[in-house]
Amino acid sequence: MTILELRRLKKYFATQKAVDDISLTIEQGQIFGLLGPNGAGKTTLIRMITGIFYPDEGDIIFDGKKFDPVSDIGRIGYMPEERGLYKKMKIGEQTLYLAQLKGMSRSEAMKKIKEWFIKFDMYSWWNKKVEDLSKGMSQKLQFVTTVLHEPRLVILDEPFSGLDPVNTNLIKDEIYNLARRGSTIIFSTHRMEQVEEICDHIVLVNKGQKILDGTVKNVKQEFKENIFSIGADNVPSDGAAPYDLISTTGHQSIVRMKEGKQPNDVLHYLLNRNVSIHSFNEILPSLNDIFIKLVEGTPASRQFQKVTA
Amino acid sequence: MKKILLIIKREYLTRVRKKTFIISTILFPLLYLGLIFGMAYLGDKGKARLNVAVIDMSGYFDKGKLERENQRDSSSILTLVNMSADSLNRSFKEMGYDGFIVIPEQVDWKKGISALSLKADRTLSMGSASQVEAKLNIIWSELKNVNLGLDDEKREILETSKVTVHPTNINDESADSGVASTIGYVAGFLIYFILLIYGSQVMMGVMEEKTNRIAEVIVSSVKPFQLMLGKIIGIGLVALTQFFLWIAFVFIVYNITVASGNAGGMTQMVGSVQETFASINIPLILFCFIFYFLGGFFFYASLYAAIGSAVNEDMREAQSLSFPVTMLVIFSIALMSVAINDPTGPVAVWGSIIPFSSPIVMMARIPFGVPGTVPWWELGLSMALLVGGFIFSVWLSGKIYRTGILMYGKKPSWKEMIKWAFR
Repeated sequence: MTILELRRLKKYFATQKAVDDISLTIEQGQIFGLLGPNGAGKTTLIRMITGIFYPDEGDIIFDGKKFDPVSDIGRIGYMPEERGLYKKMKIGEQTLYLAQLKGMSRSEAMKKIKEWFIKFDMYSWWNKKVEDLSKGMSQKLQFVTTVLHEPRLVILDEPFSGLDPVNTNLIKDEIYNLARRGSTIIFSTHRMEQVEEICDHIVLVNKGQKILDGTVKNVKQEFKENIFSIGADNVPSDGAAPYDLISTTGHQSIVRMKEGKQPNDVLHYLLNRNVSIHSFNEILPSLNDIFIKLVEGTPASRQFQKVTA
Repeated sequence: MKKILLIIKREYLTRVRKKTFIISTILFPLLYLGLIFGMAYLGDKGKARLNVAVIDMSGYFDKGKLERENQRDSSSILTLVNMSADSLNRSFKEMGYDGFIVIPEQVDWKKGISALSLKADRTLSMGSASQVEAKLNIIWSELKNVNLGLDDEKREILETSKVTVHPTNINDESADSGVASTIGYVAGFLIYFILLIYGSQVMMGVMEEKTNRIAEVIVSSVKPFQLMLGKIIGIGLVALTQFFLWIAFVFIVYNITVASGNAGGMTQMVGSVQETFASINIPLILFCFIFYFLGGFFFYASLYAAIGSAVNEDMREAQSLSFPVTMLVIFSIALMSVAINDPTGPVAVWGSIIPFSSPIVMMARIPFGVPGTVPWWELGLSMALLVGGFIFSVWLSGKIYRTGILMYGKKPSWKEMIKWAFR
């Protein structure tokens, strides 16, 4: 089931085509990675999905209907990259306030807050102020305030920045839990290893346009360069070999397959030469490599341009 | 709507519960009273008691007369000395005098003595010189009375028969201009203080949301306009609460003094306050005060909110950007003093109709009487324009606020902000 569909979304600012004709579809229960270099238009895109900006053109379809910020906002949880809380306000009170702003009733909110505070071991914080918390603690609190109202769609922009590995895992587990219970998660980050680990589906945005869309698995297949790692004592390299040797370190060699050759051809060739093989596997490109490959060559930062629209 | 109420509640409660609110509510009236009494006290204290030597060569002033006057009024002491002017000039300091007066020989009681000089080794204030002058004048008057053969009866006739002129408005005789201008000043200044203090509170509140980076979290739950309006209304209610606490404070003090029947100065003061209040239309003034206070507050607070949304952490940016708005408030106070001197003049009329100055200027005019000084149509027009004015400024600020609150980085100019508003 499709939870969110963007159709030809456009948003132009005075000097930037922040989002220039982006369409995408997100299925319910997916963990969706929204990737892109700085200034690619991710935040603008997210702000349109959360009803903060109106698109100049295009439609947002949320849960089968045209997105209506006033009524649908309560079913979205958004943790922006530029986030924070009222420093001088008590934590319990503040969480309650934010939950009520999302449309929860007081008693319902109280119940949920207690559950989460017990789960995250934050109960003793209730009467403390945010300024008393460490960065990691306030990050946890921020996550709780984002998902407290059980949103159908959760948007997390760099959710792990400033968290130690233990707390990162805690939040990661909760993200999986949310997805299992039917929430959809849009996850925006620059940390590709996290995307590889968590996301099902990714979209790469650059200069306001979508340049890549697919599941993590398919994307990696699509960008593979037929590179294999061979564990053997001595990997021969002559003109007859069905591969080019790239490098050898110890007993490990990296080779690139020649055009039209299959992995089996390599094994045949090596076995025929009595090479003893103890490992053979394909090296798929990391998302990091793909990201850099796609974004490289375009200027590192966006240039200002005159927009006539 | 429910969300706005939540925001109002938060803004109100967090402020009212702060210690600074409680302290400022108590301290402001005390400071105000302290300022008034302190100034009077210092003014009194500032007048030094002058010790003046008098050389009388005319023979009109004798020791007895001077002594009698010294006893009646001890703010300065005049002592008759029998020395030459030259030697006194050299030694008055050592003899313990602050200065001396030489009354020349050739004096005619019919013509008086003009331009006597009170010589001293430092500059004496006009005030202390006039005390000495008054004393000598009393003695001089007696001298005239005796020489003219005036008895007490004739003298009384001379003193009491005078013509006085008092401005009276035929439409509204109760509007005493003295009382009215006092109330006008107080009301105008109160609105002025509230606009500046609470206006900048709104600005700081918006800046706080921006620097704490909570703005984007909140506007993903409510519309920016709701957030801005909730903040303005919440802070406006805080100001109103403070104002009512002051009224209650005055009321309680008043009742206590009446109940205890405190004799002396206090009852006199209470009595005169009672008289004053009987002569003006309290319900109308109070109603107008609250109306203009709220109208003016909405008008200016929304502008301050827009400015707060546009700047970053830097207080100096906020100050330079809010300067024009603050100038409007200060300019209104300047218009107010003109309006109080001439409450029906063109400055007063226009100042009380144009929205940016009307909260202060109209409040200064209303105590002079409605419809006597301020015709109903002027009041109506002024109120309608103020409502229109604040709706416009709230709308305009809402547009600037919406863009500004999510912008980080460079401080925008007024030109850019106007562009945000009309995009």
